[in-house]
Amino acid sequence: MKKLHYMLFVLILLMPLTPANAEPLSYALQVEGLACPFCAYGIEKKLSSIEGVEDIEVDVKQGEIIVTMAEGATMSEELAREKVKDAGFSLRSMAQRGGSEQ
Amino acid sequence: MNRSKSKCYVLCQLAGTLSVIVAGMISHMDVVLTAPITFNTALPVAKGEFVLREQLIVNQSGDDPSGANRDRSEIAAVTAMGYGIARRWAVFGVLPYRTIDLDLDSGGQRINRSNSGIGDLTVLARNTAHQKDQTGQTFRIAPFVGVKAPTGKDNASDSLGTLPSSVQVASGSWDLFGGVVLTYQTLDFQIDSQLSYRFNNEANGVEAGDIARLDGSLQYRLWHSEGMGIPDFLYGVIEANLIHQDKNKVAGVEDPDSNGTRLFLSPGIQYVTKRWIAEAVIQLPITQNLNGSALENDYISRISVRFNL
Repeated sequence: MKKLHYMLFVLILLMPLTPANAEPLSYALQVEGLACPFCAYGIEKKLSSIEGVEDIEVDVKQGEIIVTMAEGATMSEELAREKVKDAGFSLRSMAQRGGSEQ
Repeated sequence: MNRSKSKCYVLCQLAGTLSVIVAGMISHMDVVLTAPITFNTALPVAKGEFVLREQLIVNQSGDDPSGANRDRSEIAAVTAMGYGIARRWAVFGVLPYRTIDLDLDSGGQRINRSNSGIGDLTVLARNTAHQKDQTGQTFRIAPFVGVKAPTGKDNASDSLGTLPSSVQVASGSWDLFGGVVLTYQTLDFQIDSQLSYRFNNEANGVEAGDIARLDGSLQYRLWHSEGMGIPDFLYGVIEANLIHQDKNKVAGVEDPDSNGTRLFLSPGIQYVTKRWIAEAVIQLPITQNLNGSALENDYISRISVRFNL
């Protein structure tokens, strides 16, 4: 019995983390030209139209937009730049945060 | 037409031409995306998206140097919609519903002429010709062109006959206009400035004078909300409107008692959220250098809401 408990303990330690526990993939976009709330809505709508986008948080003061993706989805910088331009603003940079691109 | 009606007709026509500039206050310039409240802005409309504004305007004129004791009041509900057709191009449509009352003394009597209805449709296109963005600020220059089309009824009448042009809800003319607007916006304040010109054409024997305008606006952020998400902003607003209108022509002859130059100072307030804006302003005439006995403005008040659709 003791041996069985020991084997179970080792198995649990060796078990890999499941995908459900992984941090979701997100991107931090640095946007220029954005200085009022009413204008921020246009950027939200344009970025939301990208397939796989689950959540968007806009920090008007810092000019930063955090885009969180659904599992398995990614977003290219080229596409992000297009959408920010369509909203009437400029994308200065984009960085990945958390998760991993496939 | 008998003698008393004829006399009234002449006086009312006089009142009409003298007051045409007042009608010009309900202008194409007050479009939907106005970060200023009394004129345009260079800020963007996102491609493929709509913005809508409803504005209620009260325009009161009653300081009459002519001796006819004229009093004109107008209430207009103006619907304006903007659409981003491309990254740097937006189009706007503006349609007013107008209610006009003109009271004056004539032949020992107090006469009232009134009218209401849908006015002329104005459409314009605006291009972002220059754009310089930085974190939390932007500078833009946007020229625009447009046309006011004679879609409204311009020949309404009452028991005294055809109404004068200042009581008609529409002009009957195709009028072109154009200009340029500059916008500098930061997180704390916004400055807008606009130069524009409108060519008014003849219809029904009346040609309103052309209009040249120089407008400026300062919106200063007084407060912002805290917490998660996109904050709300409260702006204090001060605008200035310098408006010159040439003399009108009636049957090709210049009317010496029409129009001139007005300068308005316009304090206001604006509450801005992600999806809607609520705002109010009152335009107070600081100086009016008018021709002859042209009717003077008392004030123009505006209250409006705007929506991101």
